[in-house]
Amino acid sequence: MLTFIIIGIIQGAVIGLLALGIVLTYKGAKVFNFAQAEFGTIAAFFLVLFTQVISLPYLVGWIVALAATGAVGFLFERVVVRPLFNAPRVTLLVATAGFALLAIALELRIGGTTTQQVPPIAEGVLVRIGTFNVTIQQGITLAIFAVLAVGLNYFFAKTDLGLAVLATSQEPVATELVGIGTKRMSAFIWSFAAVLGGVAGMLQAPDTIFEPGFMTRNFLLLAFTAAVIGGITSLQGAFVGGLLIGVFRQIMNYLDVTYLEEAPILHGIPGIPELAVFVLLVVVLYVRPKGLLGTEA
Amino acid sequence: MAIDLAHARNLMPLLDEGKPDARGWMTRRAAAGLIAAFVIITPILPGNLPIASWVGLGMIYVIVGLSVNVLIGHAGQVSLGHQAFVGVGAFMGALSTTRWGLPFLLSVVVAAASGAIAAILLGVVALRLSGLYLALITLAYGEIAEKVIFNVPAITGGGAGVLVNRPAGFESNVAIAYLCMIFVGLALFLDWRLMKSKAGRAILALRDNEIAARSVGINTTYYKLFAFVLSGALAGIAGALLAPWARSVNAATFDFKLALTFVLMTAVGGLQSRAGIFVASAFFAIFPLAFNQFTIYVLIIGPLLLLLTLIQFPGGMGQQLRPFTNWLTGGPFSMKREHAGISSGGSGGRP
Repeated sequence: MLTFIIIGIIQGAVIGLLALGIVLTYKGAKVFNFAQAEFGTIAAFFLVLFTQVISLPYLVGWIVALAATGAVGFLFERVVVRPLFNAPRVTLLVATAGFALLAIALELRIGGTTTQQVPPIAEGVLVRIGTFNVTIQQGITLAIFAVLAVGLNYFFAKTDLGLAVLATSQEPVATELVGIGTKRMSAFIWSFAAVLGGVAGMLQAPDTIFEPGFMTRNFLLLAFTAAVIGGITSLQGAFVGGLLIGVFRQIMNYLDVTYLEEAPILHGIPGIPELAVFVLLVVVLYVRPKGLLGTEA
Repeated sequence: MAIDLAHARNLMPLLDEGKPDARGWMTRRAAAGLIAAFVIITPILPGNLPIASWVGLGMIYVIVGLSVNVLIGHAGQVSLGHQAFVGVGAFMGALSTTRWGLPFLLSVVVAAASGAIAAILLGVVALRLSGLYLALITLAYGEIAEKVIFNVPAITGGGAGVLVNRPAGFESNVAIAYLCMIFVGLALFLDWRLMKSKAGRAILALRDNEIAARSVGINTTYYKLFAFVLSGALAGIAGALLAPWARSVNAATFDFKLALTFVLMTAVGGLQSRAGIFVASAFFAIFPLAFNQFTIYVLIIGPLLLLLTLIQFPGGMGQQLRPFTNWLTGGPFSMKREHAGISSGGSGGRP
């Protein structure tokens, strides 16, 4: 049980990182960004490119990959988001999903169907809890997650740039009138969201072998659920929601493997944790659509 | 003042102004006939290519495209989980013929009913949520269907899937293609008649402005659910045809990417344009089959076409075809642009 909870917290950090990106793009563009998790896969593929094909030193490659992912986000804003600035939000949502599909197809074209593997930032075990070894990589994931959550919160509450981003999302015309370039803000938001997704992807990638679209397949729905449960406008909410979903899902997993294996009807049904998360999402949207910490919904 | 009927009759030709004369109608009917004839002979074209098999899947995708169009195009409700309805139809259709021994036509009815039920479950959620949140829920719904429901071993044989026999008399690819074509004809007719009816206008009103629709006495709850039922039933029928076409049904077929392909082909075809959806759906079904060594390029071209459609040509292929379809239905051949696109679905994106 303890092992499951620790795994849940670590997965929750990755989910939370993606949820932060989702909240950021929601604040900036009032849209659900279905490409958020795919930015993670893109970054993981860049990491393979820069550290294994071009063989840069690992940390340099890591940072270059992150910058490249940010550039992809910038390009996406220029080519797709900006022309759809005044389009219905659902149109933009479909466009983000289309972008994710396109990215997966390009990854398949470049990487093929073979799986990829990257080494962690640092090898080794950080601490042993019960029977579970927390690796240094997982420790770094948690640390980066905490720093980003606090940092982003400060950024939006106290800095001029952060306030400008918020103003852009709430009153674009008035913001333009006081001399803030809303287009520049939009470019900033999407590049930054891509970087956040990239961080999540590159921290998760060494954990296992990966293939095109792995972040979208494994984490997109969980991240959305986390963002919605936390409150789609709240960065703290994304933080809390990520951890909550990570742990909740692992507890369900634990219950599934411990008790449901023997149960008469539910025996053999796969995806009980996914089903539980879906039910949780529906219940939250029905009972408290603005989420745990959301201010508007 | 009494109406002078004789005089009115003299004025009648004025109503036909701008309409083609007898010869114009002849050419239009001849052109329409040629197109129909071409579509009808495609399965029996000579050669070594399995064109009949391709046409079969193409027709199935057209039905799915029309089904997606009912929700996204007509009713303005985004559905990113449409593969769930098609999958439910495919499994129920397959089970009713293989396990319960029902005749094929009855299995289509069962599949349509199950697709409708699967859709109405989502429709009930859609009554509370709209816009972005609905899109999210539909995506999650499709994922759950693929990963959980379609994998229950007792019902669907787990990951192995169900093997399906083709109905008697329809063992050949050509026969299956014509069977699918008949159902496409029915679906097109249904969609066409529906949109001319009171229910069709109510659904359109719902899409444009839900509050305004309610204020003029349209029962929005009823018509929203009606749109979901119709869409689910069409998707179920497509599933019931897909099972014998592929000779097996497997949970892994109905994944997230298939759902996005369905949305993609409908949007690229042009929402609310039957001609555009027909062309685009058939294209997205047939192209990967015909060029299977280039499948990867299809995967790249599809989303590119979607993005291009959303950004540059919101009306999709339907918009490109409109001068021609206008002409066919008796209008002039004009290049006037009309607005179309994905609606936000009622007011705002908040639940």
